[in-house]
Amino acid sequence: MEFPDAAELELLEANFTFPDDDDEDLIDDLDFDDVQTSSEPGSDPITSPPDPKPTLTLPPKPQLQINGRKRILTDDGNAVVITEEKKRSRVEEAEDEDWLRYSPRKENEQEEQVVVELEQEMEEEERILARYAMEIDGDCVPVTGLDGGERVYAKICRGEDERVKKLEVKGYSTGLIQEPVRALMQRVEHDQFTKALEASSEDPSEANLPVGTVVNEQLWVEKYAPSSFTELLSDEQTNRQVLMWLKQWDSCVFGVEIKSTTDDVLSSLKRHSLAVQHPRRFSRSSFGNGRDPRRDNEKAHSDLHPENNDSDRIKDLWDKKHRKGGPPEQKILLLCGPPGLGKTTLAHVAAQHCGYRVVEINASDDRSTSSIEAKIHDVVQMNSVNADSKPKCLVIDEIDGALNDGKGAVEVILKLVSAERKLRSGKENESEGGNAGQKSSKKRNQKGSLLRPVICICNDLYAPALRPLRQVAKVHIFVQPTVSRVVNRLKYICNRERVKTGSIALTALAEYTDCDIRSCLNTLQFLNKKKETLNVLELSAQVVGRKDATRSAFDIWKEILQKRKVKQTKKSFNCFSLMSNDFETLHSLISHRGDYDLIFDGIHENILQLHYTDPVMQKTVKCSDILGCSDIFHKYTMHTQHLSLQVYQSPLAMSIHGLVAQIGKPNIEWPKSIQRHRTMSIEKKEILHSWKNKIPPCISRHLSTESIVEDLISPFLHILSPSKLKPVALHLLSEKEKADLAQLVNTMVSYATTYKNIKSDPSLFMQRGASDASMLSLDPPIGEFIKFKGYDSCHLVLASAVKVFLVHEAEKQKILQGSSNLHLPPIGSESQDVSRCANSSTMSKASASSDKTIHFRDPSRQKQYDLPAASSQNKRSAGGTTASGKVSLPEKKKKPFVDSRSFFDRFRKPSDKATQANDNAKPAQKLEERDSRPLLFKFNEGYTNAVKRPVRIHEFLK
Amino acid sequence: MLWVDKYRPKTLDKVIVHQDVAQNLQKLVSEGDCPHLLFYGPSGSGKKTLIMALLRQIFGPSADKVKVENKVWKVDAGTRTIDVELTTLSSTHHVELNPSDAGFQDRYVVQEIIKEMAKNRPIDTKGKKGFKVLVLNEVDKLSREAQHSLRRTMEKYSASCRLVLCSNSSSKVTEAVRSRCLNVRINAPMEEEIVNVLEFIAKKEGLQSPQGFAARIAEKSNRNLRRAVLTFETCRVQQYPFTNNQAIPPMDWEQYVSEIASDIMKEQSPKRLFEVRGKLYELLTNCIPPEIILKRLLFELLKKLDSELKHEVSNWAAHYEHRMRLGQKAIFHLEAFVAKFMSIYKSFLISTFG
Repeated sequence: MEFPDAAELELLEANFTFPDDDDEDLIDDLDFDDVQTSSEPGSDPITSPPDPKPTLTLPPKPQLQINGRKRILTDDGNAVVITEEKKRSRVEEAEDEDWLRYSPRKENEQEEQVVVELEQEMEEEERILARYAMEIDGDCVPVTGLDGGERVYAKICRGEDERVKKLEVKGYSTGLIQEPVRALMQRVEHDQFTKALEASSEDPSEANLPVGTVVNEQLWVEKYAPSSFTELLSDEQTNRQVLMWLKQWDSCVFGVEIKSTTDDVLSSLKRHSLAVQHPRRFSRSSFGNGRDPRRDNEKAHSDLHPENNDSDRIKDLWDKKHRKGGPPEQKILLLCGPPGLGKTTLAHVAAQHCGYRVVEINASDDRSTSSIEAKIHDVVQMNSVNADSKPKCLVIDEIDGALNDGKGAVEVILKLVSAERKLRSGKENESEGGNAGQKSSKKRNQKGSLLRPVICICNDLYAPALRPLRQVAKVHIFVQPTVSRVVNRLKYICNRERVKTGSIALTALAEYTDCDIRSCLNTLQFLNKKKETLNVLELSAQVVGRKDATRSAFDIWKEILQKRKVKQTKKSFNCFSLMSNDFETLHSLISHRGDYDLIFDGIHENILQLHYTDPVMQKTVKCSDILGCSDIFHKYTMHTQHLSLQVYQSPLAMSIHGLVAQIGKPNIEWPKSIQRHRTMSIEKKEILHSWKNKIPPCISRHLSTESIVEDLISPFLHILSPSKLKPVALHLLSEKEKADLAQLVNTMVSYATTYKNIKSDPSLFMQRGASDASMLSLDPPIGEFIKFKGYDSCHLVLASAVKVFLVHEAEKQKILQGSSNLHLPPIGSESQDVSRCANSSTMSKASASSDKTIHFRDPSRQKQYDLPAASSQNKRSAGGTTASGKVSLPEKKKKPFVDSRSFFDRFRKPSDKATQANDNAKPAQKLEERDSRPLLFKFNEGYTNAVKRPVRIHEFLK
Repeated sequence: MLWVDKYRPKTLDKVIVHQDVAQNLQKLVSEGDCPHLLFYGPSGSGKKTLIMALLRQIFGPSADKVKVENKVWKVDAGTRTIDVELTTLSSTHHVELNPSDAGFQDRYVVQEIIKEMAKNRPIDTKGKKGFKVLVLNEVDKLSREAQHSLRRTMEKYSASCRLVLCSNSSSKVTEAVRSRCLNVRINAPMEEEIVNVLEFIAKKEGLQSPQGFAARIAEKSNRNLRRAVLTFETCRVQQYPFTNNQAIPPMDWEQYVSEIASDIMKEQSPKRLFEVRGKLYELLTNCIPPEIILKRLLFELLKKLDSELKHEVSNWAAHYEHRMRLGQKAIFHLEAFVAKFMSIYKSFLISTFG
């Protein structure tokens, strides 16, 4: 049957329009009214067919069309049924209708058999078409089928009589009007239809809109977005404050007179406050005091006094506050809060309410600094020349979005604000200064100031990009609306949309989404689309997805360590589903946070403070095992960079939750101790490291930092503080004591330790002497390493006098070592040296005490040592002496006498040579000459060289 | 100078403690060449002393003239250059370094720096001493990757360079590296040996040491020669004419650990565990390695424990030490051990005394 059909089909298609047009002629008049009332959009295209062909001369044909739609039945048997038995129910008819609509091909094939199907309107029970005339009350027209000769009677509606006549007249006697009546009719019809459409879309609350249609379906979120201030769902207080802030701009934006919107707002506020909260009366006396004008304003708004009275008073207050027509103090409003609470909606609604045109910049726009700057300037500083000429209000949505982009906007705004600030302060100065300044300030004022309200919206108030903005803006934090409010609204919408839901289910949904209205509505619409109903029990399975909410670390610790209270309503469900539900939430919570290292640190910090019953510590053992496990895990994932393994961290945390979670509220602390431990141990390691570097390599090479801490420090401190050391002059000591002292000093030097005054400048304490020497402590603070909390070591602390003494000796020893290293074997001769140097040191001390400056003049020597390498060595020796707290380098440089330096160098050089291999310039012979007279000087360089006189060596040796 | 340094044997023939090892090394060197060496043994047993003496034996006194260099090496690691700061100690014949100082970048130290050093033949090659020695300390702390890259270097540049590795434990040196070296085990000196050393020092210092005093110090020193000598000197400083019952000052941190141990024995509860945690933090903050803390803690606990529990507790200590090395936060594992011990001990007490 297929093949021959194709040819036939073509033929049929060629003159397919004929019957259509034929119908039109007759039927349009019949059922015009029906078309009007029906808002079914599908009917539109067919009711506006092309003009009738001129060839058409046939009188009305039996192919009847009702409702502007062609009812052609293709199935033969069915047609019989329809035509013969007119008593079918309406439902059947509808089914047939559907079937018909989707089979246009068949329709063409069997055109000859086409039978008219008549439709009955649902509202009017009476027949329009019947086989017998008596079945129709009122007038009727007999209609005969083309081929079969079937005859039916069609009802004629009275109301259309006139038009029908007209139509018939004009349809066939062309020429009275220029346009054919068909076209006119179509136009009228079309106009009416579009009007109807517009009306329906304008008024979303129109309940009779069909729900399931595909074409003009809207997101419920948009459809039911609050269009007026009273419909706002967000927190009352915030709403009012935002509105207040916007109203403060009025004087600046709209001029001094406050527009009639004020009354609007006031009345709306009034209504609102009536509905929501009990009016708080404010006594006039407190008004008069005006402690906090802004707050008073708000209160005044919520007050229930007659509007005019009120607004006048408010106006006065505003004027007082804002120096006649100034914008509010903080020119930027920053709204922040979790998604879906209606921040953007509030901004739009409030701005519109106050008579602004909202200009929104959101994350989808280009937000580079340059482009946004132009845009913001446009909005903020210029008036629109548009017809509506409403002032603009800038809403920057999602300002915290992307870091860079958001920053652009923030920067521009900040620039504006700071310009404003400068200007204002400048203005104040200038106004004091005089008139000339004022003019210029006015000029600038127009250029760079913020003349329109700016509302910024963000989710995360503490995003780094917003930090500067936070300081200048007025910040409002959105809080979740109460569940009951959300549920009420949801119910309302559900009723409108004819969705069957229980309030329990809605409550559960609202709780599940944290009162995120947007997500609630989207979920509902989605479910509705799927023809499902909201199921309380399977909410988590049913709802498409959960909001990806990141919580703070504290919240997570709390969730882990605290057992949730089982609510009464939930008790009805079986235990298993409850547990799995809990499990799910905890899992998602932890994995959303992601910072497992911190999470486990926090658990570790707080877990032992919990009050769980644990007689044999088994829970504790398990928990600490789990913690250890997570640590191993963490190290492994970080080491191998298999970050996907992190997934398995959250079950670990959850098992801890299972073990120790209690209902009582835990007192959670930030894991400070582990972080403090980390920083301190790094600090101490650094101390050890630097100490080790200071120790001469021949000793330090044998030590590792571990062995220092483990073995060395404790005994070393003991050795450094012998009990029998007396702070007396060297020559008073016995030989044995001298030897001990020498040994001690030697140790100190070789381990690069010395005593140092911590608080005051090391170069000063020598002059001050023993008065504040009590603060002397070991220079690399190795004493710290044996200090444990709650432990007192049995280490002796040397008297401060002894310490001072030791420092002296150690310094001397350092100098001595330098000279003795080269020629004398270090161990055997040292004690000799010490005893020898003892004399000189006491002398030098004496000289130091009288602040005498001693200079050695030996020109010949000086020449000898004026070597090219001298400068570097000078520095070194200078460094050595500064360390000892006697000489500082700049002082030395100023000194006209160079010989003192070169004198020092004599002792320095050998030691330098020991370490510095390239120091070969020095003739060995001179060294021998020098060392033949082993003399030691302790050179005290004073800060003044007022008294200069040559002193001979033998004067010292007396 | 401390006695530890003063009486450190400078040459192989003056060695007192590990004489047999020293003799073998001497024989090795006398042939003019030596293989790669791996010295391993507990700390304070004389590894470094032997290595230094060996170097002196090979190169003569010039090996003692060392200078410290703190240099930043620029290492090219594929896409980027990494700065590795490393302290080296070098003489004309040898370089001493501690590659594990570079932390997780030790691989680059081994791959680039050591290779660079090994490549360069010493300039003054006249005859047989045509090689330089690289002394690597704390090889056991090197990461696995670094050790793997070490082995190729050892083979490739063996003509110009000898590696002397020094580590506390051979088990943490990979098999491959170990098989390329002559392993020299330096065990902890016996107590008698320590006594010998102390008596030698006493003789040199001209001190009178009563019978058994040195033995007491040796016993306290935990077979650690360095500690023994240091303790000996401490005793000398504190009270010279030695008396037999003279108090030997303990190591402070060990004292602290034993306090912790007695805390644990007194009470077993999460609250007490929390207090113990604070003390453990103190120890860790003072740079005491956690392994050593754990070992010492176990030692102190075992002293006070019934013999039937000793085995189990030691087992758990080993378990937690292993986990500690796998992990990063030592405190977690130390605490876990303490908790485990508390649990075991408490249930033991309950079962024994009801």
